[in-house]
Amino acid sequence: MKEEHVEENVEKELHDALVSCEKCHFCNLVCPIVDSRVTQGPFGINRAIYYGLKWNQFNDTLRDLVYSCTTCNKCVAMCKKVSRGLPLVEVFEKARELLLVEKAKGPMPEQAGVLKNMHVRGNPWGNPPHERTKWAEGLDVKFASQDNKVDILYFVGCASSYDAQGQKIAKNLAKIFKRAEVNFGILENETCSGHEARRMGEIDLFEYLSEANIGMFEEAGVCDIVTGDPHGFYSFSQEYPRMGNELRVRHYSQFLNDLMDEGKLKLSSKVNKKVTYHDPCYLGRHSEVFEEPRKLIQRIPGVTLVEMENSRADSDCCGMGGGRMWMEPPKGLVSSQAIAEKRVQQALATGAEIVLTACPFCNITLNDAVKSLEKEDSITVMDITELISMSL
Amino acid sequence: MSVSAEQLAQDLRGIVGEDYVFADVFERMVYADTELPYDVEEGDLPDVVVQPADAQEISKILKYANEKKVPVTTYGSGTSLIFGTKVKHRGISLSTERLDYLRIDEDHQWFECGAGVKNGRLIKELGKLGYFLPIQTQAGSSFGGSVSVNTLGHLTDNVFARPVNNILGLEVVLPTGEIIETGSRCLRRAAGWDLAHIFIGAEGVLGVITKVRMILYPMPETADAVAFFKTTEEIGHAIALMYKNKLPLPMDGEFVGEKACKVGYEAFGLDFPEGAMAITRSMGRTKEEALRDASELVEFFKSVGATESFVLEDAEVKEKVWAVRENAMHWGEEKGLKGFQAIEVNPTLPQLPEAIAELKNITQGRKGLIGQTEAYLYGHVGSDSLHCLFVFPYDWSTEKMKQVVDEIWNLEKELQLKYDGVGGDWGWLPHRVPLFREKYGEVSYEIIKKMKRLFDPNNILNRGNIEGEV
Repeated sequence: MKEEHVEENVEKELHDALVSCEKCHFCNLVCPIVDSRVTQGPFGINRAIYYGLKWNQFNDTLRDLVYSCTTCNKCVAMCKKVSRGLPLVEVFEKARELLLVEKAKGPMPEQAGVLKNMHVRGNPWGNPPHERTKWAEGLDVKFASQDNKVDILYFVGCASSYDAQGQKIAKNLAKIFKRAEVNFGILENETCSGHEARRMGEIDLFEYLSEANIGMFEEAGVCDIVTGDPHGFYSFSQEYPRMGNELRVRHYSQFLNDLMDEGKLKLSSKVNKKVTYHDPCYLGRHSEVFEEPRKLIQRIPGVTLVEMENSRADSDCCGMGGGRMWMEPPKGLVSSQAIAEKRVQQALATGAEIVLTACPFCNITLNDAVKSLEKEDSITVMDITELISMSL
Repeated sequence: MSVSAEQLAQDLRGIVGEDYVFADVFERMVYADTELPYDVEEGDLPDVVVQPADAQEISKILKYANEKKVPVTTYGSGTSLIFGTKVKHRGISLSTERLDYLRIDEDHQWFECGAGVKNGRLIKELGKLGYFLPIQTQAGSSFGGSVSVNTLGHLTDNVFARPVNNILGLEVVLPTGEIIETGSRCLRRAAGWDLAHIFIGAEGVLGVITKVRMILYPMPETADAVAFFKTTEEIGHAIALMYKNKLPLPMDGEFVGEKACKVGYEAFGLDFPEGAMAITRSMGRTKEEALRDASELVEFFKSVGATESFVLEDAEVKEKVWAVRENAMHWGEEKGLKGFQAIEVNPTLPQLPEAIAELKNITQGRKGLIGQTEAYLYGHVGSDSLHCLFVFPYDWSTEKMKQVVDEIWNLEKELQLKYDGVGGDWGWLPHRVPLFREKYGEVSYEIIKKMKRLFDPNNILNRGNIEGEV
């Protein structure tokens, strides 16, 4: 193997971030994709990138490892706590960018079509753009524009626009907004937030989509955005180019609490259920929104909230982040279903009847896991909005 | 080796199955990487990584390796700080990671587990049932590795016995492939011969430990205390006196030297008294017992010169105090230094203050590359174990890194000989072989080599470790 001088900027950035890894393996301890092999987790991925650069080797094994990360950020929190605080997730995403743009090795084969769909049709599944707002038919939801000013722009996101389960979130949220008499609207031509494109290393596509969305926000004159999609929420608040100080982005768990504090939203019907809450990675660890969803749940009359073994910053991943929604890891790497099933097992151990979440991705994944475990009689997966609408 | 790498992989697939043999360069590289500050080179890579499911498969692999004369290096978690798992002669890297079976038997009052179970998982699973793992190494290390080194990590030897005293039995695969069981299932351990004792602490050169049975310890209640001293030497005096005055020994007694404290206090914005810091964790059957012992230590520390000492009852302060100690891997970053190598010195109790004083100024006026490093003092003073972390620029060349590591290890040997130390936390093989030979002499070293030949006539298992190759 020939040692190469690392000259490229991205390569240098990656090298400088990884060279100080203390190799303590603590990151692997908390990683959802580690099964029985040290290579599987963040330690193995980071070493593979480091030596891939050093030896100028970029093969399919390296690609599979780099794309196997769910970007849940648990390893980053651990590294910050016990070691040198390596920005591992950022590094892995940067490595995906390098593999995709420079080395023609990324993304994973199944993800190529997904990225194309995002580019051409504005959603990962390639559904027709004109069907994006179909969920709102008959609900009297406005399209925000200069002529049709709204106080709140509800950014729906791809999953809640197209997926049948995700659409329940959009419909319930619209119902709740109406009950609270919120002057809200959606974008007629909303497009993908680009969050997952960035996770898959397609930085140019992310920029293209972010510019498209920003253009639409500006055109509609909106400065207050509420979303039920933690992935979009994270990108808007932390990754989109700054739009001055006017743009305010909230996850619905924050917004609905605000409405209740202001007395604009009241929950009256009792929902006598024992529930547990799964923290979505991009709402919890990435955005540090841990308490608002819990506060919201506890405001529903009759509900008893119990915590899972791993919760808040220590919560486990559902397995579908980081572009894994659209790939099946190759043999020898942990499947997303196995990760989700592990999480459902934790929920079952609490004795809760419902596992609540606040993300359409988590909702879809955990639901599938309940089915694959044949536990439909024991536990139901719901978005918080569903329980709230039951209590209106 | 009488077989090509390709054939080797193919043959091993026949033993453990297609999915558990890895020949890709990235897989082999990850299993070759160690905590050494310099990079892995091509010659450090095993030809193949294999993950057997149980003792039977390991037995077949070892029989095959003897037949083909292929070296086998065991891999638990790769966190060995003396580099026992580093591959020295290519061949097979045999991972025990799939040996992850765990049974906690409260009726028998023992737990039994596979060698690949990580200590972090054990601590968690035992904790759920109210039991305590008397091995506090870093959580990512494997239980089999800890047992083979006979380490109890940070814990105080005089409070918790070493694993060899807590283990009831082992399953071991000999280097020639035979599987043996040792020990008992009753709580009474054998007086006289117990073959388990040959393998515990043998650092993996006499056999592959595949299963361990250990007694259950009820989870103790604990209470932490902190004491601030003007100098680290004063902490050394205090600890030596703590033993002599028959004070209730803490299960864990940590310290952080002046220089490291300064960095930690600044990093966390803490207004603690200048100087060095000692942290103790006392235990008892009840919280009251633990608090009583911690309070007794606080009074004692005050009586021997602590500028301030108190029981850590406030959770926030307690977190900050421990954060200073746990921040070890950031030391040096304030000077832009990220390469590092640590040593361990275990002085006799009366020599504790003198050893601390020497370590505190260890780089000053020293020739060679060590003189260009920064040293930070910390460790488990309660168990008579001092560490010194040497940090240096990470962009030093591989050659320069190797040279500084050699210098640091030679220094560790000199200090251990001077202060009568041993391989307290980490073990001997391979990098402390020179220390072992000088400390105990060639006759003792020959005994180990003869035992190795008896168990492993073809020197198949962990080749190079007894020879002192790193």
